[in-house]
Amino acid sequence: MTTTLPPPPFDPELGAALTALADLIPPSLDADLLAAMRSGAALALPTEEDLRRGGTFQVEERVVPGLSGDPDITLLICTPTAPTGALGCVYHTHGGGMVLGDRRIGVVEMLDWAEQYNLVVVSVEYRLAPETPHPGPIDDCYAGLLWTAEHADELGFDRSRMILAGGSAGGGLAAALALRARDQNGPDLLGQMLIYPMLDDRNDTPSARQMAGLGIWDRNANEFGWTALLGEARGGPDVSPYAAPARATDLADLPPAFIDVGSAETFRDEDVAYASRIWQAGGRAELHVWPGGFHGFDGLAPTAQLSHDAREARVRWLNRLFNG
Amino acid sequence: MKDLAVRLAALDADAGAALRVIAYFDGLAENKAGLQAIVRGAAVLAGCPARLDDRSRRVRVRVDPAGRAAPDPSAADERWMGMAVVPDASAILWLERIGEPGPVEAMILERAAGAARAVLDRTRGRAPAEDPALVELIVDASASPEVRRQAATSMRLSESDRFRAAALPTGPQVFPAEATPGIAGRPGPGPAAASPGLPASPATPRAGIGPAVAPLDLPASYAAARIALRFAADGTAEDPGPKVVRHEDLGGLALLADLPDSADVPDLRALEHAAAAGPWVLSTLHAFAEASSLRAAATASRLHHSSFQDRIAQAEHLLGWPIRDPHGRLRLQLALALRRLRRHPST
Repeated sequence: MTTTLPPPPFDPELGAALTALADLIPPSLDADLLAAMRSGAALALPTEEDLRRGGTFQVEERVVPGLSGDPDITLLICTPTAPTGALGCVYHTHGGGMVLGDRRIGVVEMLDWAEQYNLVVVSVEYRLAPETPHPGPIDDCYAGLLWTAEHADELGFDRSRMILAGGSAGGGLAAALALRARDQNGPDLLGQMLIYPMLDDRNDTPSARQMAGLGIWDRNANEFGWTALLGEARGGPDVSPYAAPARATDLADLPPAFIDVGSAETFRDEDVAYASRIWQAGGRAELHVWPGGFHGFDGLAPTAQLSHDAREARVRWLNRLFNG
Repeated sequence: MKDLAVRLAALDADAGAALRVIAYFDGLAENKAGLQAIVRGAAVLAGCPARLDDRSRRVRVRVDPAGRAAPDPSAADERWMGMAVVPDASAILWLERIGEPGPVEAMILERAAGAARAVLDRTRGRAPAEDPALVELIVDASASPEVRRQAATSMRLSESDRFRAAALPTGPQVFPAEATPGIAGRPGPGPAAASPGLPASPATPRAGIGPAVAPLDLPASYAAARIALRFAADGTAEDPGPKVVRHEDLGGLALLADLPDSADVPDLRALEHAAAAGPWVLSTLHAFAEASSLRAAATASRLHHSSFQDRIAQAEHLLGWPIRDPHGRLRLQLALALRRLRRHPST
């Protein structure tokens, strides 16, 4: 590939937000930056008080067994205190490129859904790469999923109303959980909400090339994340679909998927391809490509029109799923 | 990587906030964002509802601080922080917050108004009244009534409607009478309502506004507007005062404009002498002359009451007459008005 593809333009409001915050959010990532980001300044984590929402949720943390031989894992569990109907469950895998973040990242949006649709929110603390390479992170996520499904009665939710959800790396982990639950006779799942998911370690789509050096989580950052998870194996012939769901050869018999992504981000083409392959396999998927959206745009600029529209589309899908 | 960056919504008045405001609105302009996005930016960054009311183009946009469109038919509260989007103030950007804008709010107003002006010029076209050749004609007393009638028709000015002429340093403008001219975007009755603390945008030109008249009487309105323009200040430290003045608010002051520029006025000489003592003198005298009380003037000058009082005493000494009694205050106001007239001679 010798020609350079012109990138699609950012949405005007989102482009302005990027400009305004340019010094805070470099598009790329390396080891030094990772250390700086892990030290916390850029992470806006909700406090326990935020999670309680004035008593709307009971917040607890449970330490549950990892997969055989693995260390225990922590689950953050937020349960509606006054549900207006039977409870369901959203099992959440947080984002952060496989190398960053913790169980509270992204939970605030889940709580919005939980208030509206009577959901217990369970968010898993999985070990991060590069300290823990594949399969450690997905094993932790799967162990938490098994425990959650087995303890549905104790947690008070109807096990037929359980969905997966995650953004970015968390979207990739959610997609991997759906594949693994299908393959290993795991819990039945009502749906999978894949928010601009990180699916393909090969990192070589036109969108990955187009957006190099631009926006958020560019091709270089993506290579950094995948290499942290997979080491030398990244992009090679032997990558498990539980690490990189785009590697799955069979996308049949999966729970209905919601996939969204921005047109101006690395993941655009791999996410569009994933939705297309689900349809080609006879499955159900809803795909939204938000024009001019960069990676994580609704988190960075939650008040922008496109962010409102993207979040409303997720809620409309949930509404059909839970009330349809 | 959702949530990993500081959210735009969490911007506060830290040292970098003003720079981010500038970058944000510059980014909107560069990406050719629309009015809704601009008003949304103002609402989100200020953390209160924001609205754009453009009476001449009938555009109304209102957005809440979460970024959602929130139409509200009620009129703007004139105590809100506002800024004119166009010089005649027929379009105003408001932050729905009462009080003096702080530095970040002032920056938001200025940048959002500038971005909105660019959009209005680009997408809505200039109002017909802004065609310079026609405007020159319709305010020209030496043009025949027939020529002016034709100009009114071309500009689509109905004979049954009322219009005002505005005099700007660059020339005349005409706009519908119901558009309320304001001071730095704040509609108000005139010079007395000037708010010394309200930061006037450097982009807002000086303007004089004539009375509302039928289209064919616009030459008279423009003549009055040109007089009012002479009473409009640059809004700087050397020339403090309102940048927009309506002729009908001048009252008898307007007669001062008839004085020959060479007329010797001792009080004016005394004022210039006092002003030479330091930049604080004019701003102090102006604040005192415009405010309803010494205390209000101190607040507007952001000074402690007693420090302000010290300055007044010093200024009185420099002027050579007391200004805290009604007569002395009137002399001061007249001297300030005369000084502005001298700075802005008739052309």
